[in-house]
Amino acid sequence: MTPAAVVLAQEVTLGGNEFTEMLVEGLSLGTIYALLAVGFVIIFKATQVINFAHGAIAAMGGFLVASMATILDIPGRWLPDAPAWVSWVGSVVIALVAMALIGMMLERVFLRPMVGEELFAIAIVTLGLDIVIRNVVNDFIGQFPRPMGDPFALAIFDLGWVRIAHTEALQIAVALATVGAIALFFRSRMGIAMRATAFDQEAARAQGISVGKVFSISWAIGAVLATVAAIFISMFPRRPAGVDQQTAFFAFKAFPAIIIGGLDSIIGGIVGGLIVGLAESAASTYLAFEFLGTGFAGIVPYLLMLLVLLVRPYGLFGTEEIRRV
Amino acid sequence: MKAKSKWLAIFLVLGLILAACGGDGGTDETTTSAESTDTTEDMTSTTEGDMTSTTAGGAGEIATDVGVDLEAGTITVGLLSDLSGVFSSLVQIIVTGHEVYWEQVNANGGIGGLEVVVNPVDTAYDPPTHVQRYEELKDEVVAFGHSTGSPHTVAINDQLQADGILAIPLTWYSGWSDDAINANLLHHGVPYCLESMNIIGYLKDMMGDGLQTIAIASNPGDYGLDSHEGAVLAAEALGLEVVYEGREAINAADEATLTEVANGIVQSGADLAYVTTSPTAFSTIFGTALAQGYQGTWSGAGPSYNPAFIAPDSPIKDAIAASTYWSAYYGLWGMDTPGVQEATQLLTDSGRVEVPVSAYFEGFVEAQIMHAALEQAYANGDMTQAGVLAAAKSLENVALDGLGPDETYVGANNDQVQRASAAIWRPDPEALASGESAGEEVLETDYTNAITEAYEFNEACYSLEG
Amino acid sequence: MRGRPMLYTRYETDQALMNTGTKKLMLALFLVFLILVPLGVIPGVDFLAQDEWLRLLSEVSIYGIAALGLNVLTGLAGQVSLGHAFFMGVGAYTAAWLGAAPGPFNGLGLPIWIWLPAAGIVAAVIGVAVGPTAVRVRGLYLAFVTLGLVFVGEYVFRNWTSLTGGAQTGRTFPPLEFRLWKEETPLIDFVSDGPWFGIELSGEAKTYYLLAVFAIVFVVLSKNLQRTRVGRAFQSIRDRDVAAEIMGVNEAKYKLIAFGISSFYAGIGGALLASFVGRMIPEQWNLFLSVEIIAIVLIGGAGVVTGTILGSVFVILLPRIVEDVTHGLAAIVVEGSGPIAWIGDLFISTGLDDFGFVNTQAGVAPGLSIPQFNQVLYGLLIILFLIFEPLGLYGIWLRIRNYWKGWPFTY
Repeated sequence: MTPAAVVLAQEVTLGGNEFTEMLVEGLSLGTIYALLAVGFVIIFKATQVINFAHGAIAAMGGFLVASMATILDIPGRWLPDAPAWVSWVGSVVIALVAMALIGMMLERVFLRPMVGEELFAIAIVTLGLDIVIRNVVNDFIGQFPRPMGDPFALAIFDLGWVRIAHTEALQIAVALATVGAIALFFRSRMGIAMRATAFDQEAARAQGISVGKVFSISWAIGAVLATVAAIFISMFPRRPAGVDQQTAFFAFKAFPAIIIGGLDSIIGGIVGGLIVGLAESAASTYLAFEFLGTGFAGIVPYLLMLLVLLVRPYGLFGTEEIRRV
Repeated sequence: MKAKSKWLAIFLVLGLILAACGGDGGTDETTTSAESTDTTEDMTSTTEGDMTSTTAGGAGEIATDVGVDLEAGTITVGLLSDLSGVFSSLVQIIVTGHEVYWEQVNANGGIGGLEVVVNPVDTAYDPPTHVQRYEELKDEVVAFGHSTGSPHTVAINDQLQADGILAIPLTWYSGWSDDAINANLLHHGVPYCLESMNIIGYLKDMMGDGLQTIAIASNPGDYGLDSHEGAVLAAEALGLEVVYEGREAINAADEATLTEVANGIVQSGADLAYVTTSPTAFSTIFGTALAQGYQGTWSGAGPSYNPAFIAPDSPIKDAIAASTYWSAYYGLWGMDTPGVQEATQLLTDSGRVEVPVSAYFEGFVEAQIMHAALEQAYANGDMTQAGVLAAAKSLENVALDGLGPDETYVGANNDQVQRASAAIWRPDPEALASGESAGEEVLETDYTNAITEAYEFNEACYSLEG
Repeated sequence: MRGRPMLYTRYETDQALMNTGTKKLMLALFLVFLILVPLGVIPGVDFLAQDEWLRLLSEVSIYGIAALGLNVLTGLAGQVSLGHAFFMGVGAYTAAWLGAAPGPFNGLGLPIWIWLPAAGIVAAVIGVAVGPTAVRVRGLYLAFVTLGLVFVGEYVFRNWTSLTGGAQTGRTFPPLEFRLWKEETPLIDFVSDGPWFGIELSGEAKTYYLLAVFAIVFVVLSKNLQRTRVGRAFQSIRDRDVAAEIMGVNEAKYKLIAFGISSFYAGIGGALLASFVGRMIPEQWNLFLSVEIIAIVLIGGAGVVTGTILGSVFVILLPRIVEDVTHGLAAIVVEGSGPIAWIGDLFISTGLDDFGFVNTQAGVAPGLSIPQFNQVLYGLLIILFLIFEPLGLYGIWLRIRNYWKGWPFTY
């Protein structure tokens, strides 16, 4: 696959406008966090599982895309005449289907036996799962990053007042489309079943809803969204060299997004993701003061999270738990 | 409930088997180490006596204590390697380099007939584990062929001095050439600090007036800061204006710091961006700055680069090839020096090379320096831990035949310190794709810039104490 | 009536720390065992007297102390925390400030009897100070608050260079030496070789004894806590917080106390760990340390003091045992004889083209390296214990004990 365009020797206004650059960076980060957060919230809503393995699953998905697109060249090897983007989209679709199946399998094997146990115990199971998946995936990734093999390369839209990479534009578009798709999904029969299950598992079951199926599908959606996020993490300009052994840790920044939005609110996940992305970007642009040391922008999401919890202990959009004696 | 208890039973049985095996392993261990201590006691007592018949090669009496077993004919060298931490991919290759090198030495008669065995253990790039592993190995090995990581090596430095054991730090911190802390350590390769001077000096010579301003950004710790100090000194010596300085500004694990540094570089519009960090962080800063239209030249300390940058599917391969320049601590794959040619041959013959990368040579360099020290100790007739240390510290002009610059361990700091980069090079994606090299186009070999030559090295550029 | 097990005539006996004679006997035997270990005189486990194993056992004590703290918070009071590593860091840096010799970084050179308790107290005070946020949120939200604490703490540690030595650099910590005040030679030195009461001991053995004593003290304190008013209040909050409050247990107050006690243990554990290792970098007080402590508590059995200690032994020694077993098996496979070699060969990869799950040639042979395999095993164990034996190792022990108690009957 050859890069579509190498933008090197091009007249540009350096850095563009500080504010718009900040906005683009914030949106680009924010949509990644939102994709991770929404997958996470869907799993939590349907199955009451806090999935600490989300980052590891994302890395696995990213690696699968890389293997399909560059290492195994599937389906490209059978389509020698197809344009680069067709075979790449083919690779991504295959990887997404595979990840949906893997997501279902993980739920069935490791989390189904925990149904009805304490939420914290279940969360720790996913912490164990994170360790296992991360180490195995990292062994597969190996010493060198694995590029995504995408056809966008370094192409950039330069609008004068802002510069935005094709990958980033695609990412924002895909994130919007995903949100739309999820909204539609929740109006479908399966989506309604999922909402019912989230509301009350036993009552849903009594109504003839296959709760097990709901669990499986929620994990499939979660794994797919995590993979989509991983693809965008591992492309130009964020990780141009591709998915590597550190990719699994990216998801830790999505946690404050989830909490700010509220653990059980999909809208919350999206809003939280965008807030965290924009806050981080703004902090790194406007709060780069000497006395704050290194990495202040990186903890701004956590500080925001603590602040939100002080005011609203269930997040901005989360539902307050009604406790019985 | 039934199924659950069945599972439990299976699990319990497995646990018991595991425990049983553990016991076995443990006892095995004790018997062997008990044996070795016995023999070493024998040996130390006999060296004063008359038992010289066991010394191989008949080179006279050889004093031994730990790690040299004259009866079995082995010398054990320990490796404190990061086999599971952040640098594991690199260090695994380096360990292979050690093993291949010693295989060849042993095949050619070893050291006076004694075979050298390396014993790599995993430190996980974690200081507590590093210290623990040191404790485990110190009673089994004659010296340490490498010790991964600077804070980690400093963590065992006091113990090394107390126990009188030699170690080769696997980092290029300038402090290893500083006699304030290097009593038991051997430096090798150009330190980060002088490396910065070499490569920035080279670029100034090449670019002339095209290089007036520099942006410097670094990781925290000895790696980033030693390199950072060198870059600042180079800028001073060359009259470059430092238009952006991100001292310790990069935390590779924190996305926001990478954006911050990239923004800083872009806004400064520097002619040269000198960024010392991890490869992942380098690629992110590079990509982000590129997306914002930055067009300067790039460089940084060697470990910031990864061959994957110019892999056939990498989107940035052409950009990296067009704008980055690097300095090397050890020879590059395919370089035209006798040392490199010979090492390449050995590695290829061993069949253990998956991808041709130069990191194997780092293992060779460490092993060759250790080899020189062991030979000297053997010649001195003292192969105790202290004897090997003393022998190593007396080495002058260890010839590496272009696998790396020659090393000297006698004299003042300024005389000992390594000034030469093994090579100055730029990435070459086509060469990588064709498989003929690791994608490194060599521009200079054994290179020392005038400003590096003129620099008076009296102490570590960045102090790592406390 | 006397001498019958499980028959108590007084409430005090029921609540006693050692409520049966067998327990007293076992404890006495265990203490003798602990004392004899470094002397290498117990057949079968004499290898434990080697420096490397003594260091691992010392680590068991340290992690055990830290995990006992989490056991109070999670096991007794039912509060979830991912922030234990942060409090360990606070303890370590308090110890460094007070105890380390003056030098490039903050250090007052005070003796251990000041810096060690202070490490616990400062950690506890900070624990209580962040408590109000923690008390306000519940359950899983609390997990995330404490997660945030770890990240914010790491940021502070990385940047507070004058105290912590700075990111990737770190600093040294006070050694385990007992001084009355700032005199030159310590009164008792737990780190260097030398005789004690006429017995020649290595520094590792002395460190082991010291840390074993600390561990025993904290075990007793923990055990005792369970049968106090505070301990019972914790358990009532864990079992049903609203009910506890209706019964007059001040929920907020007791949660704060639980945080304080837990952080105190963590602070002591962190100070001992840093002092034991000698040099730590600020990045080490991270989420993975917290997870390791959680794993100890859960694998051992949440809420049970004995379980926590068992968990610590298990989690700390397992990697070493796996490594020895793998190398042992690999040796058998290479020699290649018998059924063990055949089965081992399926499992271990010894060459470049040899299939296996684990390899002895990291980076070149197929399969996971031993350290990676250890990590995977560790993750799997966390999962398997939670799924199959939520009471952890202690639960397994209970089953074995009950089986033999009733033997030959199965009930």
